[in-house]
This record gives sequence, C-alpha cells and structure tokens, in this order.
Amino acid sequence: MSAREWTGWIAATIVVAVAVHLASVWILPHAVMHRALSKMGAVNTIHHQKRVDEHARGVVRPSPDLLYSVCPFDLSNGSLEVKAPVPPGTYWSVSAFDNNTNNFFALNDRQIGGQPLELIILPPRKGTEPMHIAGRLVIRAPTVRGLVLFRTLVNDDKQFAKIDTVRRQASCAIAK
Amino acid sequence: MKTALKVLAVLVIGTVLGLGATSLFVIRGTMPGGVTDGPWKTNLLIGSSGGDMRTRASVAVHGLLALNRSETIYYSTDRDSDGNTLDGTCTYIVAGRDPPARWWSITAYAADDYLIPNAAKRYSVSKNSVTRNAAGEFVATVSQKHFSKDWIALQNGPFNLTLRLYNPAASVAADPAHAALPSIKKVSCS
Repeated sequence: MSAREWTGWIAATIVVAVAVHLASVWILPHAVMHRALSKMGAVNTIHHQKRVDEHARGVVRPSPDLLYSVCPFDLSNGSLEVKAPVPPGTYWSVSAFDNNTNNFFALNDRQIGGQPLELIILPPRKGTEPMHIAGRLVIRAPTVRGLVLFRTLVNDDKQFAKIDTVRRQASCAIAK
Repeated sequence: MKTALKVLAVLVIGTVLGLGATSLFVIRGTMPGGVTDGPWKTNLLIGSSGGDMRTRASVAVHGLLALNRSETIYYSTDRDSDGNTLDGTCTYIVAGRDPPARWWSITAYAADDYLIPNAAKRYSVSKNSVTRNAAGEFVATVSQKHFSKDWIALQNGPFNLTLRLYNPAASVAADPAHAALPSIKKVSCS
C-alpha cells in the first residue's frame, strides 16, 4: 500500500472516531437519565424513598441527611399535577429535571413561603418560564419524560417521624 | 475483499477510538471549568442547564440530579490538605468553622461513589450534628475507629468526601475558590 493510500485510510479512521465520539457524548445524558428513571418505578406516581444508607445505589452520592421522594413523569397524556405540604422548620426543595438531565425548575421552602406546593407541569412547547395561574405555579417541561425530585432535610433525628409523615402527603398525577 | 476488510478495520478502530475518548475524557475525566479551594474541588456548572455538549455529558455523569448553584454548591475531594490520596486505613481530622450556608454537611463515599457500609450508620457530619468549641470551631474524625460523636466511619480502600452547602451565601457562588472550607489532616495510618 502506498503512502497516499495509508494517509487516506488513517484519515477515514479519524473521521469515524470523531463521529463516534460526538455521537456518544450527545447520547450520554439521555442514557444516564434513562437508566436512572428506569430504577425509580412507575411514571406519574410519587415514590417515597427510604432513608438513605449504604444500600441506596440508585443515584451516585446520595445524601444520608435528606429524604428523597421522586416522581418520574411522562406527559404524553397530559399535564402533571404535583401537590405537597412543606414540612415546617427544615430545608425542603422540589426540583424538576428533563430527559437530558437538565435541572429546569427548583423551589425551596423559603421561596414558597410556607404555602403548600401546587404545581402544574405542562408538556413541552416553546418557552419554559414559570407563571402563576389561579394561584398555582405552572411550568412547561422541555421534554415529555423527566423527573420531579423532592428533598427534605432531617436536621434532627428526633424529628424524623414528623418530617417523614409530612413529606409522604406529597402527590403527583396526570391532571384530569 | 481486501477493500472490504480495510473498511471494516477503519470502522472498528474508529469506533474503539471514539468510544475510548468518551470514556477517558468524559466518563473518567474531570469536568471542565473546575474550581479548587484547599483540598476541595467544585464545579459551578453542576445543576446548570447551559454549557456545551461535552459539559452536559460531564454533568450528567458526575452530578446527576444535582441542584443549581443558588440552591446547593457541592465540593468534593479525594485528597487531604497535604495533597495525599484519602485512604480508608488512615485517620483524618476535618476541622474548621461553619461554611457560609444555611445548612451544610460532609459525607464520606467509597470509590464507587456510594455510602461506606458501617453498622453505626455514621455516614456524615452536618451543621446540626457537630459540636463546636467556644471559638465556634468544630473537629470531626474520619476513621475506622469508633467515636461517640463528630465521627464519619471508614472502611479499607480509597474514599472521597463531599461537602454540601445548602442555600450558600452569595459570596460562595461569586468566589468559590475562597470559601473558608474545613481542612483535612491525616493523623495516622494503620
């Protein structure tokens, strides 16, 4: 094989390598999220996870001081209605992630001002700006599938039962 | 036939190189845009939705479901303050003052990034759990040896620490390299 032929084959190999690299980097967030969602259970239903210990192996680096509740969503059949009381006297937040792992919404206990959460997540269309409709917070998801994640801090073990009871009152379902 | 083999070789070698680069630079590699404060490292891109394709992939791998910087800033390290790799057979002292945040915690993770198994379930110390001296300083021990308080349990093997700052002071996001974070000193090794 001539030097020119070699150069051609090496160039072709580099083109393939770059294409495969870019494709795999593009697909990685989707794959990571798909794997995480598949471990979380049925969609459009809230799942209250147990207190984190060494057996919690769904998502890397879980915090043992937080209680996690998750609602994997699929907006193919309509908007998601999320409701939750806010446990008093501790850190609490609700956040939402799209199918590409982007955090597109977050709200904590201080920002909500002690009011119970009433959140509507609309299926994707243009614009993701939060807006208030009839006292409810309404946001638009960038993708059909994604995840709502509640974090509740157990800042005092003696308060665990009380905090756990309040966070288990949270719900999520497709709006009727 | 010969040409077909050459094309096949190009495809196979190209695919291996392409996937190898992704594994090396994105999955195992460190994230772009990192900031160092003593032994601690953070990346303010964690929890953000911006960034290029490569940054997005890194965030997905290294900070899945993490919150944005106004909600939480995550620092982590696999080194002590002298730059040595954290080793589960050693005893460390983590000492300092409360970092500027509404709430904070320091948690130890095994090399696989999951909590370190221990019967006492002592995975972390936090703003609410540590004791402080009159000057407002805390001293926590990270070791296999048991302590009744201010203690994070270890097992043999490498480990890493994550420092979470919930609702951090605006000064931390503005200058994450100078947040006055706790030091990590090796005391002894067995």
